[in-house]
Amino acid sequence: MTSLIESVRNATGDTLFDYAVSPLVKILVLLFLMLLPLIAYLTLAERRILGFMQARLGPNRVGPWGLLQPIADVAKLLVKADSIPLRAVKWAFVLAPCLVVGPAIIIFSVIPLGPPASETGGLSWFITDINTGLLFVVATATIGVYGLIIGGWSSNNKFSLMGGLRSAAQMISYEVPQGLALVGPVLLAGTLSMVGIVEAQKSDGWWYVFPQIIGFFLYMVAGIAETNRNPFDLPEAESELVAGFHTEYSGMRFALFFLGEYANMIVISAVATTLFLGGWLRPFPSVEALAFLDVVPGVIWFTLKVFVFLFVYIWFRGTFPRYRFDQLMDLGWKWMIPVALGNLALTALVKLLV
Amino acid sequence: MTQPLGLPYDDHDGLFAESEEMELNFGPQHPATHGVLRLKLKVNGERIVDSYPIIGYLHRGTEKLFELHPFFQNVPHTDRMDYVAAATNNQAYVGAVEKLVGLVVPPRARYIRMMLAELQRISSHLLWLATHAIDIGAMTPFFYTFREREILLDLFEEYCGARLTLNCMRPGGLPHDLPVGWTERCAKLMADLPGKLDEYEELLTNNRIWKKRTVGIGVLPPEIAIDYGVTGPMLRGSGVRWDLRKALPYDGYDEVEFEVPTGQNGDTYDRYVVRMIEMRQSVRIVNQCLEKLPDGPIMAKRPRVLKAAKDAEIYHGIEGPKGEIGFYIVGDGTPNPYRCHVRPPSFINLQSLPELCKGALIADLVALIGTTDIVLGEVDR
Amino acid sequence: MDLWTSVRKAADKFLLLDLFAGLGLTFKHLFREKVTVQYPEERWEPAHRFRGMFRLDEDRCIKCTICARDCPIDIIYIDWHQEVNPETGKKDKLLDRFDIDVQRCMFCGLCEEGCPTEPKSIWLTTKTYELASYDRWKNLYVDMDELQEWKVRPAYTDEEIA
Repeated sequence: MTSLIESVRNATGDTLFDYAVSPLVKILVLLFLMLLPLIAYLTLAERRILGFMQARLGPNRVGPWGLLQPIADVAKLLVKADSIPLRAVKWAFVLAPCLVVGPAIIIFSVIPLGPPASETGGLSWFITDINTGLLFVVATATIGVYGLIIGGWSSNNKFSLMGGLRSAAQMISYEVPQGLALVGPVLLAGTLSMVGIVEAQKSDGWWYVFPQIIGFFLYMVAGIAETNRNPFDLPEAESELVAGFHTEYSGMRFALFFLGEYANMIVISAVATTLFLGGWLRPFPSVEALAFLDVVPGVIWFTLKVFVFLFVYIWFRGTFPRYRFDQLMDLGWKWMIPVALGNLALTALVKLLV
Repeated sequence: MTQPLGLPYDDHDGLFAESEEMELNFGPQHPATHGVLRLKLKVNGERIVDSYPIIGYLHRGTEKLFELHPFFQNVPHTDRMDYVAAATNNQAYVGAVEKLVGLVVPPRARYIRMMLAELQRISSHLLWLATHAIDIGAMTPFFYTFREREILLDLFEEYCGARLTLNCMRPGGLPHDLPVGWTERCAKLMADLPGKLDEYEELLTNNRIWKKRTVGIGVLPPEIAIDYGVTGPMLRGSGVRWDLRKALPYDGYDEVEFEVPTGQNGDTYDRYVVRMIEMRQSVRIVNQCLEKLPDGPIMAKRPRVLKAAKDAEIYHGIEGPKGEIGFYIVGDGTPNPYRCHVRPPSFINLQSLPELCKGALIADLVALIGTTDIVLGEVDR
Repeated sequence: MDLWTSVRKAADKFLLLDLFAGLGLTFKHLFREKVTVQYPEERWEPAHRFRGMFRLDEDRCIKCTICARDCPIDIIYIDWHQEVNPETGKKDKLLDRFDIDVQRCMFCGLCEEGCPTEPKSIWLTTKTYELASYDRWKNLYVDMDELQEWKVRPAYTDEEIA
């Protein structure tokens, strides 16, 4: 038996434990026990917080404080009639929701929720750490655009098609300022690896939000546009195109689109936390006087910061009107890209001189 | 930016690729059309080239129903035309009947009617703000305005028993007097309301996204507005200072002081500002009425059965929240009217919508329908 | 425009102060009172004059049929006949049928206004607005007996029935 285990050593000399068991454990814990419930309860949190902002209570009937509401929603969506429009392109219709949800969840494999194994002494708090982690994140997020286009087109519905194309155009245009904003922390850290960027924030002594405040703000706004949320949610605006690209979807397929949107929200928040707010680090990691805060594990800091971002998402939804589509594109191309380029140039200059 | 009115769609000297016009049905069932309005749009990409409103989905034969019953029994039917602003519908109808039959309304009834009409104007504008904002994407003003509207509807309920279809006026005066404590509650609401209006303004008026969605959209020049017969805040937003409460006063409006706001550019933002200021002026009117409320009877001395002389006809129009609402009644010697025709402001304001739509984007169309403030119950009757 | 105003305008434009004002308002509302009425534990109480479901009192009714005549949609159907009362020897009017077609009723209150008796024999101020029922035919066409049995307010807890 031991010879069998020894023979399953891959090129880098990892044991079976490292190679197969520990990633599976991490996937189970991080994805299935942390991410998926978070996505489900984010729907409830949004409805309740939005209700509180609007001087009303959100859903609070199903279970105490409405905590069983996501389960009720999923149960309802599962038993709904699964209708495919008559002349819809069936394979594309079925594929589209998967293309939206899949990438969002896959990105989570490189996001560090806590310190690596060297600090915890056991399993690390991320599934894997690729040395081009950030590039992987941006590339995978772009695959989500395919899901929207295919979903909108395959529904055989003019409104869906328009919604899908608009949504795709919006997402592609906002990829550029998003990417440019992300390069700032990379310049400061010197590495594309997500864990490496957080470690660099630790060694530099401050979160990168302070030097990169403009980049942070740009990334936030581009992130909101990427996930089609208010104030950039014209593609799915109820009062204009009914529901945009997911008009014809019902039942579990619609649930997948819906969950995909929230998963994208969480991904953007997590990436922003890692790059700008220092990941699992406590506030002011270099100030020794605050070392007592180290009692709180890194994971808790990470989740608190992600919750702050999610609250900001919901806050924006409750407050702002919607941008019209051409104004949205104007904003992306004419304002955000020049500002992002300027930010990049400034960062590079400072890095060079200092 | 929308194209100026009347000019054909500009294809930028052939720089745009060839595209076909698509016919899109902004159907009767749509979250944004405020009822069952159907618009057939000819769309080139996103720009609307032409639009044809198709109405009649809510036609209930109200004008025929008027002919079947005596004058005082028709008041509940008038509630249901502009169901958002029932008191002003009632006021127009009973004003017309009083002129036809020749009744003189006592002063206390006139002041209370004025108060009810102004409260109804505030309520209608609050609902307009709620739906306009939510169509443009801002969800929260909807809930805040409905919170205030609840208190207004409670006031109406204490007075006449219903919240929406009020049936609160009769030819010759009013059915009931004010209940105990109503004036105090009304005064309290009027004291709170300007603060709440400031809150909505904080959310919307200076907000750059709101301004981008409404400034320069749906410009209606004053001459074209007058040509179409548009009245109400749509006309005042274009700069024409015409308000029936000042021009042809009725029901005690010449005894209170208030101002009539007008806009400058005639775009959606100006109409929004005009309606917000109108709400504040209504609060002012109600406060003055509460101070000056005279005592006395609330119903004129009138015969048991109201009869109009044969071939007597009258038109009476008042300033409702959406524009001039008028009744043209012809009598024929019996207690029933021979013909009762309504001049609905929403119907006539809707005529200007195809003009406003030319060259607009579909996203603007929703803002335009919101700014014309139509209620389909009135358009179709 | 002097320097201070232009500086303020620039700050407003670039620092997005108008957007932050809106955000501040919604944040404050998180902590304010909520206006939800948790039905059915809490119930919104109508005013005294609220026009709800009808109630008839046959003893007070003088069978003048003014209510049927005043109804704008003619949904009150009244039949009565005259009988000599054996006790007093006078002719009495007796009510055979007093039906109201609630399907079309608009609760306008004109029947109550027209009723000449003091106190009124038909009234709508029963503060009842919960007319939903599980049976399709139950509350749609109400006859004389049901009209008199209608409680002032429907009971929804056991304590109220007693």
